[in-house]
Amino acid sequence: MSAATVTSPRVDPPVTRTALPPRPSRLWPTLWALVVGAVVLAAAAGLSITWDELPALPGKVAGYLRLMFADPSWDKLPRALLETWRSISMAWTGAILCVVASLPLGLLAARGVGPAWLRLGLRACFAVLRAVPEVVLALVLLTVTGLTPLTGALALGIAGIGTQARWVYEAVESVQEGASQAVRAAGGTAAHVTRWAIWPAISPTVLSFALYRFEINIRTSAVLGLVGAGGIGSMLSNYTNFRQWDTVGMLLIVVVAATMLMDTVSGAIRRRIMEGARVRDVGRGA
Amino acid sequence: MRTAAPHVGAGHAPAPTARSSWPVELDRVCVTYPNGTRALRDVSLRVEPGEMVAVVGLSGSGKSTLIRTVNGLVPATSGTVRVGPHQVTALRGRALREVRGHVGMIFQGFNLAERVDVLHNVLVGRFAHTPAWRSLLGRPSAADRELALRALDSVGMLEKVWTRAGSLSGGQKQRVAIARALTQEPGVMLADEPVASLDPPTAHAVMADLRRINAEQGLTVVVNIHLMDLARQYTTRMIGLRAGEVVYDGPAPDATDADFEQIYGRPVQPRDVLGAGA
Repeated sequence: MSAATVTSPRVDPPVTRTALPPRPSRLWPTLWALVVGAVVLAAAAGLSITWDELPALPGKVAGYLRLMFADPSWDKLPRALLETWRSISMAWTGAILCVVASLPLGLLAARGVGPAWLRLGLRACFAVLRAVPEVVLALVLLTVTGLTPLTGALALGIAGIGTQARWVYEAVESVQEGASQAVRAAGGTAAHVTRWAIWPAISPTVLSFALYRFEINIRTSAVLGLVGAGGIGSMLSNYTNFRQWDTVGMLLIVVVAATMLMDTVSGAIRRRIMEGARVRDVGRGA
Repeated sequence: MRTAAPHVGAGHAPAPTARSSWPVELDRVCVTYPNGTRALRDVSLRVEPGEMVAVVGLSGSGKSTLIRTVNGLVPATSGTVRVGPHQVTALRGRALREVRGHVGMIFQGFNLAERVDVLHNVLVGRFAHTPAWRSLLGRPSAADRELALRALDSVGMLEKVWTRAGSLSGGQKQRVAIARALTQEPGVMLADEPVASLDPPTAHAVMADLRRINAEQGLTVVVNIHLMDLARQYTTRMIGLRAGEVVYDGPAPDATDADFEQIYGRPVQPRDVLGAGA
């Protein structure tokens, strides 16, 4: 508009007001904003925060970061790598336990495979398992199996079943009906349908979810170490208690690097599985 | 009569021969679905052994339900269905699976396991005739394997035996599905809109395959179809369904347009014919 006024002496057309459609009521969004605001304030008030210490906090954090990462101590690296390996073993064993248990349970819990009473019962169990965090389960198992990586693997294996089995039955229920109907029409049993119609359709998805479970377990296994289940998490917890910050810094670097490495490798394999499955479907010849 | 489309891959080995061809008999069959839809109303008919029958009607006329009552995939609400020596409506569980093992069926959507190779798709046809451990492990007996291979050869798909079903074209998939049904050594072959997902030349080829199986083996074939010209050209008898009732039953080749208008309950439209293939 400014360009028009500079280059030409033309008079601007008279301003006419466009009739605006009535604006929707702002009442409910405003009310919700007030409610959310009140909840935030109530939550903060319940924490009894000492606000006057807050300005000093960034300086403290920076101090500890300097202690940890300015000159991390690499003396304990071999031990750290060994403990990392134990964590990965824990994660892997837990993932296998979880997948092996959740596959038949998930299949039975799928609509059209198992009977209704079994389906509902299993789904209720999965829901309960999903509500229990791995750490809580590990604390309970500690009393039985003691301070060993086996405790961690068991905790990971059992706690994961809730989610893993749910993924399995959701995958089964999203399978196209056609092949199952053909097997039934040829006189096949429920076992035949599961083996030759459902399993071929879900196997890439299930395999991909199994690797995903491994990735989740790698991250969770470090946390389980904090409660004494062994592995890199236990070492981290110990050296934090000893206040040997240079070693803690080294351990944190190892944990982050190992987790990212395993994530990348497993993620790449997972992508390969899913894409392989898709490419072969698309590439149908004449 | 128009010349038929050439048999795709003509000159194959003959298909495995049926032990005996079965009649199909429906007596006052009604089917009401749980949602209240009355799909079949008091249907009585008899298909003789070795006949090739088209069941014609618009979608929603009850064709699919009719064909599914024959192998018990849809249970009849009332009335009786007999297939060969068996009264399907009286059977359940193992006995029903045993009968299904002798009734071949092919579908509009082919219904193959896409990620499984052609051989193991075809071996599905032996499930009802084989010990469970063999079929669950995918280890067929030599005789079953031979049956599957001969069925594949008879539809010209033998060289695709190790191909994944998902990478085949539509026409190839339907021929694998026919081989799967033939491997059952069926007494009756049911086909539910077998060519509705195929292009015209392929549709003619698949219909020709079905007619050849009917002619060579004397196998009873009941095929659902909504296209007038395919019904006239490939089948000998036509049963017309409208709103779940049989409204026509007569020879297919000389069914007139007026007969079709009576079945459809509306004037004939261009989409009621497939047109020339090949």
